[in-house]
Amino acid sequence: MAMRQTPLTCSGHTRPVVDLAFSGITPYGYFLISACKDGKPMLRQGDTGDWIGTFLGHKGAVWGATLNKDATKAATAAADFTAKVWDAVSGDELMTLAHKHIVKTVDFTQDSNYLLTGGQDKLLRIYDLNKPEAEPKEISGHTSGIKKALWCSEDKQILSADDKTVRLWDHATMTEVKSLTFNMSVSSMEYIPEGEILVITYGRSIAFHSAVSLDPIKSFEAPATINSASLHPEKEFLVAGGEDFKLYKYDYNSGEELESYKGHFGPIHCVRFSPDGELYASGSEDGTLRLWQTVVGKTYGLWKCVLPEEDSGELAKPKISFPETTEEELEEIASENSDSIYSSTPEVKA
Amino acid sequence: MARTMQTPLTIPVPVLRLPRGPDGLSRGFAPDGRRAPLMPEGPEAPGSAVVRDSRESQEQQARAALRERYLRSLLAMVGHQVSFTLHEGVHVTAHFGATDLDVANFYVSQLQTPIGVQAEALLRCSDIIAYSFKP
Repeated sequence: MAMRQTPLTCSGHTRPVVDLAFSGITPYGYFLISACKDGKPMLRQGDTGDWIGTFLGHKGAVWGATLNKDATKAATAAADFTAKVWDAVSGDELMTLAHKHIVKTVDFTQDSNYLLTGGQDKLLRIYDLNKPEAEPKEISGHTSGIKKALWCSEDKQILSADDKTVRLWDHATMTEVKSLTFNMSVSSMEYIPEGEILVITYGRSIAFHSAVSLDPIKSFEAPATINSASLHPEKEFLVAGGEDFKLYKYDYNSGEELESYKGHFGPIHCVRFSPDGELYASGSEDGTLRLWQTVVGKTYGLWKCVLPEEDSGELAKPKISFPETTEEELEEIASENSDSIYSSTPEVKA
Repeated sequence: MARTMQTPLTIPVPVLRLPRGPDGLSRGFAPDGRRAPLMPEGPEAPGSAVVRDSRESQEQQARAALRERYLRSLLAMVGHQVSFTLHEGVHVTAHFGATDLDVANFYVSQLQTPIGVQAEALLRCSDIIAYSFKP
């Protein structure tokens, strides 16, 4: 019997989810942060989507969010003209970095010593997190607002995207090395360190470039305008989502569309594979994040595959019996909390 | 008349539960939370499935049954007049419309408040102490 994808919906945000990022794999698993226009970015357990905490402090929409590799720190970029660095274990705000306009993107170096920011003031800024009072180093050159900025090549270079260009900068000299120009608005950018691949989306195109030379590798066209795409860590698949509310999964080698899923109630703004490639997360205008299995039917996280010979009842199968019998069972189990929540009212017809 | 092609029967992948949402009361980051217990090595393989404690599974069944009853009670409330007791002794009544996924907000209409009637409103569940209705 074929299995159908069951997406897991993570709710809690009250406005569109515009960015999301996973941490690396830590001894405690991996984590997911979501940026939302409600100004309250949230941290979740990466494999289950369980909410861990909400970073409170921003006074405007949060446009970008990221975690450092070991998920001990988080950084957020917001419409209140600040980027903030947070302790991702306690939820406390560690630093507020004032900017001159809306901040859209933040990225930690591998060692978490530096934070890269970019936004509507068209400047890239590099903050030394060990010297929070020091002025950041600034790189100018973009002619429109910066949408995404990422460290690459072991933090020796920087990739940044504005409306129609993607630029590569040398960190040490702070100068532009190369740039790409598009005739359509760049909607997203993802950097894959293993293999130095850059994933860029614009219009209906999902394009792959070398992160070192910016030379094109290949590109695919989707059925609708794509807002974000992500390449699987083993580079077998890519997933993409956009304006038609659907998620698409492609074979990276052949470009064949493998699966597509409806589920979101609004355009998809961001998609990312988890660091182990077992699932991907999508964030949408509808205010939800959804987790999707890469291999549908595999047991992982909250997905539990029940094979025909294995119906051991491990699934939480509620006894759908009715109030009378259930009441007794419930009373047996309830110990100190003995106030009955429901009095024995007649069964209500749903 | 040609029959439309039968799509193969598929069953949705079963899930243990839904992801937990915010509690609506705090900002989270519980001190005894995720950093304390170290993860077991890798996800559980189907063959070496953990044998659940029978008390745990009883509790899980009870939780599931309670939740199902609660969800049915919410369904039964739709379109009915509900009386809400809010903080500081405030009482309001409204027609219940719907709740969101986490039951964090109730969508109501014709909300009768001490300062007038609101045609449509969202009541934050964390503000509600109790509510009652007659089906």
